[in-house]
Amino acid sequence: MTVPTSIKTTETARISFFLKKRANEVGLFVAIAVLYAILAVFAPNFSTAGNLLNILRDAAFVGIIAWGMTLVLISGEIDISVGPHVAFAGVALALLAQHGINIYIAALLVMLMGACIGIFIGVLRSYFDVPSFIVTLALWLALRGIAQVMSDAVPIVIADYDFQRLGSGWFLGVPIPAIFMIVLFLLFSFISTSTVFGRSVYAVGGNAEAARLSGIPVARIRIQVFAITGVLAALTGVLMASRLGSGNSGAASGLEFDIIAAVVVGGTSLFGGRGTMLGTLLGIIFIAALVNGLVLLGVDPFAQGIVRGFVILAAVMVNIFSIKRVRI
Amino acid sequence: MTRALVELKGISKAYPGVVALEALDFQLVAGEVRALLGKNGAGKSTLVKILAGVVKSDSGTIMISGEVKSLQSPADGIKAGIATVHQELSVVPDMSVAENIYIGSWPRRNGRIDWDEMHRGAAAVLLRLGVTIDPKQSIRKISIAERQLVEIGRALRQGARILILDEPTSSLVAHEVEVLLAVIRSLSASGTGIIYISHRMDEIRKIATSVTIVRDGKHIATGPVNEFSSGQVVEMLLGTKNHGAQKLTSNMSPTAPVVFSIQNLSVAPRVVAASFDIREGEVLGIAGVLGSGRTEILQALAGLRPFKADAAKLHGTDYHPSNLAQAMACGVIMTPEDRRGEGAITMLGIDENLVMSNWASVSRFGTINRTAMMKKVAESIRTLGIKLARPDEALANLSGGNQQKVVIGKALNANPRILLLDEPTRGVDIGAKRQIYELMRQFADRGFAVVFVSGELEEFCEVCDRVIILRSGQITAELSGEKINTQSLLDLTMGEQREQN
Repeated sequence: MTVPTSIKTTETARISFFLKKRANEVGLFVAIAVLYAILAVFAPNFSTAGNLLNILRDAAFVGIIAWGMTLVLISGEIDISVGPHVAFAGVALALLAQHGINIYIAALLVMLMGACIGIFIGVLRSYFDVPSFIVTLALWLALRGIAQVMSDAVPIVIADYDFQRLGSGWFLGVPIPAIFMIVLFLLFSFISTSTVFGRSVYAVGGNAEAARLSGIPVARIRIQVFAITGVLAALTGVLMASRLGSGNSGAASGLEFDIIAAVVVGGTSLFGGRGTMLGTLLGIIFIAALVNGLVLLGVDPFAQGIVRGFVILAAVMVNIFSIKRVRI
Repeated sequence: MTRALVELKGISKAYPGVVALEALDFQLVAGEVRALLGKNGAGKSTLVKILAGVVKSDSGTIMISGEVKSLQSPADGIKAGIATVHQELSVVPDMSVAENIYIGSWPRRNGRIDWDEMHRGAAAVLLRLGVTIDPKQSIRKISIAERQLVEIGRALRQGARILILDEPTSSLVAHEVEVLLAVIRSLSASGTGIIYISHRMDEIRKIATSVTIVRDGKHIATGPVNEFSSGQVVEMLLGTKNHGAQKLTSNMSPTAPVVFSIQNLSVAPRVVAASFDIREGEVLGIAGVLGSGRTEILQALAGLRPFKADAAKLHGTDYHPSNLAQAMACGVIMTPEDRRGEGAITMLGIDENLVMSNWASVSRFGTINRTAMMKKVAESIRTLGIKLARPDEALANLSGGNQQKVVIGKALNANPRILLLDEPTRGVDIGAKRQIYELMRQFADRGFAVVFVSGELEEFCEVCDRVIILRSGQITAELSGEKINTQSLLDLTMGEQREQN
């Protein structure tokens, strides 16, 4: 059936343009709805409020860093050091607290250190042309190593119950880490769509040479993107130490790949230039719900990895096809 | 009569909206070095692509050594003994010379690569070329000229009997050209047929035995090289039809103040000593064949290449930018030749592409002011005459001409005082070309200046107040006003004698 263009109002044209441009998010939203419907029917207790809030809390430890990782991927780079960075930040925090430094000041110091680690990655990438995968691979090894050396691989207890509320407490009926995640989501959505820095990240990832010739400071943008992700990794380390009540060098093992998986499922291109914060949010919710549902269904923990692997692969493939079909 | 190596009969090829070749006949015998001449878009590259099997002709027959062949793919072309060496070389930089010569068909023994055999074979091929390159050397360590010889060696190893060289000297310096010409002579002496594409008459006189001239997809003339005077060649390249549309009227006065001047500009490796002025309200053309140093001059002025000069003054003050940001701050802005690779970000919106060179004008404290941005974008779209559905759609959706207007609009939004345009009309349709000239003219008429580089000489006639001619890194002539015409430009750029530095 064909609709004459004269009948097609500007309003429907507007909606169809919106759907085309947001094909990826709309598709993911549908996928999440289907997943929730299936799990609500088959997994006992899945759709209770308590469980949904649990999903949100678990998602927070992935989500906070994912906003920075989305920018990293859009700029055409990658950062695989964030998991060990979380562990390192937790141990550093606990050690500082052990030496009598106020825990909140210690948290700020750890986040400052996170920024420095990010700047280090960005400088090596921008001025020495070391691929970001290699720099962060080195840090992936080194940061966990440093955390283990500093703590003798033994958890360092943080005996501050007030501080522990940060990671495990609730505010207005919502887990506090989830509040961090949501506030940061709003902030990063704004950054990525409405600031000169955010749009420059897209330009650098879309075509670094064209961005450079347009006067965009490519090196500075890359350094900033890694610095932001470093701060977010340190923040996650602080929240995780708070939740565990200790700085633990074995924490957040494999977290970097959960994050990258969520960002990629959310439609961000590994080649740069393309991606949205909303897509990443949906990717996080999708994976968190899937993991939670598999547990509730009583799936063998070893088999869960298999299911997750293939579901993530399928989600990314659907994503790639949907973007190819409605290329705008 | 010698049997033809290649015989093309009635070859035609049309692309949507344009006839590239029309019933073209072409013959080449063993040992012949044929210069193929034609302006950009005359059909040379289509002819070469059909021979190489890259493009299929719509009609006509191809006979190789008397046998009718149907070349469906580049592999068929190689099998038929036809090899092309392009301007952009296709060697693998991290492999050795020998590996590149044998690429894809490395000799094997017992399932393993037979290195000894490969090095022996490569050395034999290089010996046939009469050049001394170590087969074990990595490609990265040898010069562009030597890489080109390696590609010719590969063609020989594949058993090529017809070798097509596409502007082979455009990136070579004088003594390297001599080496290449010697190699070509020895190949032709051993019976290889060579098709030599070049715009340099002096080289053609040295090396070619015969010339073929094509124009508008048609064969114009073929004959021994010494039967044509350069004047005749130029005439045949241009044709008799009225060239160039109406010249845009210029309001520029020849006594307008000089806004930029440079003495003895040298830019490594090509530009030796170029001195010129740019006046207020002027559209200045820089004409020269590929490799004459025209792009290097623009890049130097835009802060992208280090340069030396006795004196460089912009509005009376010393001008020596050490990077792009400094040049932009002085109001000197360039649009690059490679639109997709360097000019624009095709996956982003048209709106963002237009303002990204000057975010400060549409933002406050780093936050984009949507209203200001939309206003600026709407203004650009109106003045540039960009045809689009929505300003926020991806740039990739626009035609080449409209994309180029966006690239120019982006440069204009950075408030330049001198606009440097490197091949702004490449791959752009005729209507959009005219609009781009008008944009250049309007910008100059506002009291600014434009420097315009193009490979198509007719373009200078339509828009330039003055054209400087660049040959081997030096300015050898200058034409202004009514004296700018395609014939003089062609005479001056092709040149009879190669300048020796």
